Amino acid sequence: MDIFTKGLWIITVSWFIISMKRDKNRTLKSMKKSKNMMGNMLGQIIGILFLIGLILTLIPPEMIKEYLGSSNTLIATIVSALIGTITLIPAFVAFPLIGSIVDMGASIVPSVAFLTTLTMVGIVTFNLESREFGRRFAIARNGISFVFAILIALAMGVIL
Amino acid sequence: MMKRLRKNGFLAFVVIAYIGLFIINKEKAILSIKNSGYYIKEMLTVMPLVFLLTALIDTWIPQETIMDYLGDGSGVKGSFISIFLGSISAGPIYAAFPVCKTLLRKGASIFNIVVILSSWAVIKIPMLANEARFLSPKFMAIRWVFTTIGIIIMGYMVSKVVKRDDIPIEEEAIEHGKILIKEEYCIGCGICAKIAPGYFEIENNRAIAIDENIHGGVDDDVDKAEEKCPTRAIAISK
Ligand code: SF4
Repeated sequence: MDIFTKGLWIITVSWFIISMKRDKNRTLKSMKKSKNMMGNMLGQIIGILFLIGLILTLIPPEMIKEYLGSSNTLIATIVSALIGTITLIPAFVAFPLIGSIVDMGASIVPSVAFLTTLTMVGIVTFNLESREFGRRFAIARNGISFVFAILIALAMGVIL
Repeated sequence: MMKRLRKNGFLAFVVIAYIGLFIINKEKAILSIKNSGYYIKEMLTVMPLVFLLTALIDTWIPQETIMDYLGDGSGVKGSFISIFLGSISAGPIYAAFPVCKTLLRKGASIFNIVVILSSWAVIKIPMLANEARFLSPKFMAIRWVFTTIGIIIMGYMVSKVVKRDDIPIEEEAIEHGKILIKEEYCIGCGICAKIAPGYFEIENNRAIAIDENIHGGVDDDVDKAEEKCPTRAIAISK
């Protein structure tokens, strides 16, 4: 385990102990809520984890390097960002998938773009958003977010 | 059955792919499972963490209190509170819509709303653990910094393009004295049915109104149900 995860574990467990001491009922109630949320995702999580195994075995790393490597970053980034807007998986499940592809040699720039649009831009939720906040708001927010997803990704490519 | 299948369609797809692979090439199938092993182990080290942290944040950092702080406070303080509110909240971006709508009615600025929506979507404190684990702490930290800066600029840009009048603020047309449950937000938690069993019932994991007419009276519990609904799926008109 890396230091960050370890530290977070220590904080969380101590917080949990204090929380149980201060208000046992409330803590247990929230845990039940959190359990329901995780339970709903469980199928997807298991699915993704096993899909990663398939990808690692069946797709040759050269192919990942060729399409998602650093040779044609801009196009790969835009395509990844587009895929992110239509994909409907929780970010929670996306991290292991992205992690495995990066381990195989994909450049991080398209990966970051995908991660950002995945959660921030939604074609599927667009209708709901424009009903609640108006069409203008939905177009502006989703459009600007898309552009920023790419900018953030490119900036990270420069640093990492 | 159909519903279950649709819900777990993705998992079913992966299972079928594995079965297919087993038939065609047994070694590769076994190798695939082995390759998944590492990621499953990693997931097990963060999943309880994310689970606990989500519950703890929910218990000790109540959304409502922070929403009260926000009010119409904009500027630096407002953007900090907005980012904080978004980061501690669980659930996908559309779960933030009703919360933001309430805030807009209370006078929050468009800038703040965009910041809340965006940080609700991308910055999640329990999720940072997950990201650090599968990518790297450095990756997580740098992405966090860039995203936060990006969100502030985005909020500013959207607030230049969209004005308050562009946003439909008026209440949904609910008939006077009636109850409306917005199905797309209801998560079927059952809180409303527990608080006001005379009005709500859970059916197929969704709340339904058994009585659409508000009776009124001093000890009417429908108000409390509206207030306590975690996703603000209940609208009442009095
Ligand atoms: S409290 Fe809200 S989310 Fe929960 S079941 Fe009732 S309407 Fe649905």
